[in-house]
Amino acid sequence: MNKTWIVTSETYLRQTKSWSFLLLVLMPFLFIGMTFGISYVATPNKDKSDIAVVSTNSALRTSFIKQSGVATTKKYATAAAAQKATNRSDINGYVVLRATGKQVSATFNGPNEINSGDQAKIQRFLATLQTQLNVQQAKLSPTQQQTLAIQPKFKQQLQKKTASDKAAKTISFYVLVFFVYLILTTYSSITAQEIAAEKGTKIMEVIFSSTTPRKYFNGKVYGVLLMIVTQLFVYLLGGALVVQFAQHSRITADLWQQYSSVIGKVLSNLLSINLLFALAAVLLYTVVSAFCGALVTRVEDAGKASQPVIYLNLLTFVMAMAFQGSPSSGVVTIFSYIPFFSSYLMPLRLINATATMTEAVISMIILLVTVVGSMWYIGKIYGGLMLQTDELGFWGNLKRGLSLK
Amino acid sequence: MLTVAHISKNFGTLQALKDVTFDVHDGEIMGLIGQNGAGKSTTFHSILNFLKFDGQITWNGQSLTADDYNQIGYLPEERSLMPKLTITQQIVYLARLKNQPAKVIKPKVSDWMQRFAVKGQPNDKISKLSKGNQQKVQLICTLIHDPQLIILDEPFSGLDPVNSDLLKQAIIAAKKRGAAIIFSSHDMSNVEEVCDSLVMLRNGEVVLKGKINDVRNQFGRTRLFLTTDWTAEQLAALPNVGAVKSLGDQRCRLQLTDANAGEAIFDAVTAGHYIQEFSQQPPTLDEIFRTEAGGVDHE
Repeated sequence: MNKTWIVTSETYLRQTKSWSFLLLVLMPFLFIGMTFGISYVATPNKDKSDIAVVSTNSALRTSFIKQSGVATTKKYATAAAAQKATNRSDINGYVVLRATGKQVSATFNGPNEINSGDQAKIQRFLATLQTQLNVQQAKLSPTQQQTLAIQPKFKQQLQKKTASDKAAKTISFYVLVFFVYLILTTYSSITAQEIAAEKGTKIMEVIFSSTTPRKYFNGKVYGVLLMIVTQLFVYLLGGALVVQFAQHSRITADLWQQYSSVIGKVLSNLLSINLLFALAAVLLYTVVSAFCGALVTRVEDAGKASQPVIYLNLLTFVMAMAFQGSPSSGVVTIFSYIPFFSSYLMPLRLINATATMTEAVISMIILLVTVVGSMWYIGKIYGGLMLQTDELGFWGNLKRGLSLK
Repeated sequence: MLTVAHISKNFGTLQALKDVTFDVHDGEIMGLIGQNGAGKSTTFHSILNFLKFDGQITWNGQSLTADDYNQIGYLPEERSLMPKLTITQQIVYLARLKNQPAKVIKPKVSDWMQRFAVKGQPNDKISKLSKGNQQKVQLICTLIHDPQLIILDEPFSGLDPVNSDLLKQAIIAAKKRGAAIIFSSHDMSNVEEVCDSLVMLRNGEVVLKGKINDVRNQFGRTRLFLTTDWTAEQLAALPNVGAVKSLGDQRCRLQLTDANAGEAIFDAVTAGHYIQEFSQQPPTLDEIFRTEAGGVDHE
């Protein structure tokens, strides 16, 4: 089997089997689950929000329950039983329906006012029923009936949704920037610390007596890349399930309906070339983190190894936040082509439509060339850096490492 | 056969290796000895291609290829394993990097653990093992794939006599199946006991090399052990006797300035009578090491 693949699979399996990785991947879902759970508990129970329907006219009662759209319960058919249930707070109250020849009426009985939505539904049901009764009473000809049935027309001529567009852009930017920042910080730390710890344990001499430093280095990077792909896959799968749930849950369905346009735009901004920028950024940061990890000489210093990359990531993050409001500025345009910065700034421009797809592809090519170039060069000097174990300080370690191979 | 031909290596202004040349044949155990900093580990690192160097290193007449490294078993001076892995995972991972299938190596793990008397189960985490047992697991990692070239940097360091014997048995077993073995050691008794030949380095240069006995004999049989009722003063007065050291129980060690003086001393001391001991020997490896490795005569 290819030795690079052996290193890749070992790195991938060892990391993904760890509790820290499981927590990292599952944390957003735990958080969402907890939010839903708390909302579910806080939102009144469906049974409790039901309204009982009481009527001496059973056809009218059945028709109301089926057609009104109000959340009702069939449990309580008499006013006495419904009143008791109301007193016990099992239901919100009950509606007494009456049809006295020429008029239908409904009376709501309950401790609190009926909510406006249910009130409107009841009134709509009663109005429809009353119209039917009126038509019957008036004994109209079919033509007259048709004339009365004519409804007014209402059309919407929608303008450009500037408000929702702006919200979608802002949300997309923040979600993307925080996601990329967290992912880069996490994987930079994992990589730098793992490499530094390996170097500190001196196992590298044994490994390099079996495979070349380049193959080993590439295997490590691919292993970390597989981890991030796994994490993204879990997020996409979990995200799809959350969307399904949110669309149908009584807690979020209305909200989803209301903001479906914004949510759709945010999702399309995220699931685009912007995701590729995030992936390429992880690769680049992983390679540079491995380099930083290889410069440390003691296991105890593994924590320090990731600091340069984390500060670099913080710098690019702060810059993206600072220029969030001015995506068309010259600085953003220039830095959107510079690797490390481009992962934040080109998506910012794309979200705000200040960059074309051609510009994005050019920036992506520059980023990928940098990734490949860094992998090639660091793979070349990796052996020397990893075998240099004298404590000579940052520059001393680098100089000695470069002189070995 | 491993051939190291005229290799030199500089670290800045420090010349770590100077024109080092030696061979290790199949089925031969060679001891690489020298003081700390003499260039032993640098020599190993050059063979393993960890370093850029001048000169040439070949295996069976060819430059070493990636496939050749699958036939190497290497134990570095500083012991290290991956503490989060189990014993089996660690051994299998390193063996897979030597192109050994996991299904071939896994069944061997228990057997090798028994051979080295590792206290623990194959599924125990490395981090839970004692330092000594970790060292033995590392030896298993070095040898389990039956390498043809075995490089051991200070393999006896930290091992108690019982475990040293287990390692010696493993080294001798590898020699019997035809492996070329090279190891460094500060303990000359181990070298003398196990090695067929030695190379001694001093400041990166080869100062001695050859079969163990040839190396010793080239210093002449200048050590004379005898048991006699003569006093140290009487012995010191004999011709060509440089120094006399009393070893107790009428036993003395004489340092001769000329190895050919032995016969005359024998005649003088015995005067035709029986004496319990008269043994003329070359210096021990330990004595040679003290004299040659540091360039200082301790006598």
